[in-house]
Amino acid sequence: MAEPFALYDCSLARRAMGRVCSNLRELLDASRTVPDAVLEHHLLHCTLEDYFELYEFPNDLARWCWEGLSDNILAEQLGLVDPYRYASIAELRSAIINLIEDRLWGLERAPWCRPGRELYLMSSRLIAYDTCERYPTPAALAEAIERMPLRSLYYHVYEAHRRTSEHTDDFSAWLENYGVSPTLVARLRSIDFYFLNLTQLRQELLQAFRQYLPELATVAKGTL
Amino acid sequence: MRLLDRYEEVVGSREIQHLRRLAERLAGKRIVHVNSTRTGGGVAEILGWMIPLMQELGIDARWEVISGPPDFYRVTKAFHNGLQGQPVSLRQSDFDLHYEVNRENAKRLSLEADIVFVHDPQPIYLPHFTPDGKVKRWIWRCHIDASQPQRAIWKHLECALSKYQGTIFSMAAFTRHLELPMFIIPPSIDPLSEKNCSIAETERLETLTRLGIVPDRPLLLQVSRFDRFKDPLGVIEAYRLLKPYYPELQLALVGGPADDDPEGAAMLREVMERAGDDPDLKILMLPPDAHRTINALQRSAIVVLQKSLREGFGLTVTEALWKGKPVIGGACGGITLQVHDYHTGFLVHSSAGAAYRIRYLLRYVEKRNRMGQIGHEFVREHFLLTRHLRDYLTMLLCLDHPDSCSLIV
Repeated sequence: MAEPFALYDCSLARRAMGRVCSNLRELLDASRTVPDAVLEHHLLHCTLEDYFELYEFPNDLARWCWEGLSDNILAEQLGLVDPYRYASIAELRSAIINLIEDRLWGLERAPWCRPGRELYLMSSRLIAYDTCERYPTPAALAEAIERMPLRSLYYHVYEAHRRTSEHTDDFSAWLENYGVSPTLVARLRSIDFYFLNLTQLRQELLQAFRQYLPELATVAKGTL
Repeated sequence: MRLLDRYEEVVGSREIQHLRRLAERLAGKRIVHVNSTRTGGGVAEILGWMIPLMQELGIDARWEVISGPPDFYRVTKAFHNGLQGQPVSLRQSDFDLHYEVNRENAKRLSLEADIVFVHDPQPIYLPHFTPDGKVKRWIWRCHIDASQPQRAIWKHLECALSKYQGTIFSMAAFTRHLELPMFIIPPSIDPLSEKNCSIAETERLETLTRLGIVPDRPLLLQVSRFDRFKDPLGVIEAYRLLKPYYPELQLALVGGPADDDPEGAAMLREVMERAGDDPDLKILMLPPDAHRTINALQRSAIVVLQKSLREGFGLTVTEALWKGKPVIGGACGGITLQVHDYHTGFLVHSSAGAAYRIRYLLRYVEKRNRMGQIGHEFVREHFLLTRHLRDYLTMLLCLDHPDSCSLIV
């Protein structure tokens, strides 16, 4: 019998670096020199701050290039960088530096932002904690998704991809262990989560679960 | 009923439950907050709820207040203004007085603790006069925008920071480069306070009648000091641009008396002159404790303005959003964190921009209502005291575990 699913919540401890970028050259310099936690914040943890589906792009750097520098080409390129595809922050950093360097190479003048549109560099640490909420069956988990805090979704999907050795989300890992249909597991794992915000992710998860809900109800009764 | 249970009705039981879980790891920790007043002002308001809530969560939290002669407060008021970039003139004897008052208070106050949070510049030198070992960690909590301070003031305060292990600011844009960790914790509002709690419809209507505002005609509102940076003249201009299209429109500019502020008094005179004898334009001077009146006005407005040219965090914006009102805000300071175009209101850069966006909101009632709902939920998620408390608890855990990256507790 599988252990119940343990729900975690998380919170960010944000720190300002006291460092600001006003132009693309400063962004390049920052990308080379800032601590890993800064890149982590602006490329990964920033998902926790997109409340309204406001943003065209899934990371702060792409957003700033678009909105602050009006460099749409670089914004599009940075928007396509999926940090979860990189084995380490060092590799991610190289990719970012390469893109910015390449862009600067072709420009006569580095683009600047207007005053008030600067990028304030931040770092953050994720603190996760056990909420003591438990879901004993796949059906209970599916039902809980609808009202789960967005921060928990972040922890069990985005953060899980970096935390777990299989680089997968906690939901599908637990369901697989529970013995549900491999199709549902595959369906959950196919969600292109990085390009979704947390509200959209919740909808995608619900859609996947609903598709399999009758089966999940059967699992819950212990007949599988 | 315990205090946390009362907040449960607003933020939901899960949020409170999660706060309890987070705080379990900090049970028994001795925390002291130090500021310069027990009543009046935003810091005292925050500590007024934060201390009892921390205590309910099992943390041994206390509140100490420094005291000094009247001249001390003149000096620290100058620090406050100078930190925000205003020109101030201080003598060496003023800095000496600041040291001396801190030295005396360090002897008098009970500061033994795991962490002491020192709020704003007034008590900032306490660590220099406190015996080693009495306090494990000192954290400076700066509630002011310190990004462009007067040099002499900053140098004086920066020296004090050598004894600290960390700082907290409200926004990254309010910081300067420091060698210490600079945690970012935005401020919050208390949904149960007089200014933000729900009020009876009869009270709301009585308030409007008392102030000479017609309840069934649309009301625009700005609640702010009469200060050039809050641009009250720009608000009047926006209102005048709209009036030909919406003759029923009313505007209320609400502020406090400016007796001790010559610049404020001059601004107020200018605002009064510009308002002229328009019966639909009210300039209201309210006492500092008129929280319920402001509450009623904010709930009665069709759109709330905060057309600042320079702003701190802008908690009046938070208050308006909490009451389900779209906000037209100047694109500066903390307003940009709260007002998001087409979601919670509009950021504007001119009086014409404000008039244009208000016209849009007057025309599209459903969109206006929808934006109001979104704003309310946005504040519930990001700017209520429960989030503020969670940020503090998270930071405390972070300080207890300085080495790891992501932390699972």
